[in-house]
Amino acid sequence: MSDALACHSCDLLVHVGTLRHGDSASCPRCGCFLTRYRADAYLRILAFASAGLIFLILANSYPFLSFSSSGLESVITLRETPGALWTNDMPGVALLVTTFIIIIPAAILVLMLVLSIPLNQGLYHPWLAPVAKSIFFAQKWSMVEVFIIGVIVALVKIAAMATVVVGASFWAYAAFAICFTAAVANLDRYQCWQRIEALGAA
Amino acid sequence: MTARTTAANSGLASCHVCFKLAPTAVHRCPRCGATMHLRKNDSLQRTLALLVTACLLYIPANLYPIMYTEQLGSTEASTIMGGVILLIELGSLPIAMVIFVFSVIVPSGKLMTMFYLVWTVERHSPLGARQRSMMYRITEFIGKWSMVDVFVVSILVALVHLGGLLVIRPGIAALSFAGVVIVTMIAAESFDSRLIWDNIEEKNSEN
Repeated sequence: MSDALACHSCDLLVHVGTLRHGDSASCPRCGCFLTRYRADAYLRILAFASAGLIFLILANSYPFLSFSSSGLESVITLRETPGALWTNDMPGVALLVTTFIIIIPAAILVLMLVLSIPLNQGLYHPWLAPVAKSIFFAQKWSMVEVFIIGVIVALVKIAAMATVVVGASFWAYAAFAICFTAAVANLDRYQCWQRIEALGAA
Repeated sequence: MTARTTAANSGLASCHVCFKLAPTAVHRCPRCGATMHLRKNDSLQRTLALLVTACLLYIPANLYPIMYTEQLGSTEASTIMGGVILLIELGSLPIAMVIFVFSVIVPSGKLMTMFYLVWTVERHSPLGARQRSMMYRITEFIGKWSMVDVFVVSILVALVHLGGLLVIRPGIAALSFAGVVIVTMIAAESFDSRLIWDNIEEKNSEN
């Protein structure tokens, strides 16, 4: 029974068996993706999560976008992007945007480092389960890639009005988005929990 | 008809956090400590309630302006659809399509899909379960992409404030639209797609 998995989309019992590096399993009844095994998954997560955190720090250290027309210029940083909503009587939306584009993604990357180091080295800690739980809970609320599209749309919208310059912080944020997506893609929920359980039993 | 073995008819429940299988009598997951349920609690009622909430929020989100552009003393308000039309007039058709798809098609399509899924499960329909499963997964995946317009407003408001020359302010629709996106995401989350397949199990056991 140890290799059985109930499809979370249709509840069919699937015997996954032993997967080799790169193999993935889908539900034969509803087609839902179930799991993918990568021997070096935790090493990849470690690499992408640490690179992502460095890019996020860079993204917060330089100007994000600048906008100028008729001799007047306005420069904003990443943190000021939702901040202006706060001063425009929309603190709720400002908090939501900050949470979705900075706080949750940053927290996920930090937690991923905390999780992947012991999983990669084969060490068990009782806090592994709560850390993994928090990551899987927070995952669907990170909107890094959506924000990138938002920036591009905003740029096109105002490009006709004035001169817009993209700052170093934007490129750092784009690199952060790529690293973040790659780190999340390498964390397989089923494999991660199997690994935590195996380490706990040993 | 060959009966397939599901976790439920083997007397097992699957943990929704870590996928651990445990007998249905167990209430706390032995692996991750989450509360175990055979199916999500009151799935249909919760989903339906959240969908109705989202529909109500969707009305002001479309009727009120999402942002105001103040240019040299004159203020111009634009709604979500108004923004799309403006972009078409400016000649940026691809960007207009992006906004139209994410802010108009996706939220309304998502609401209709979720209502349809709740309705078919309520009617115990066994038809097209695979397609409905697929619809649900797409709905769940695409949900957060509707936030694009809220992010666009957030960026424009921060960036465009050049004294009295040109200022962009957020409108109340930004708040209600963010509400629509978040509430529909929670609605999709509270829907249990296994209910779609339970109807097929029922039909099989009747035969």
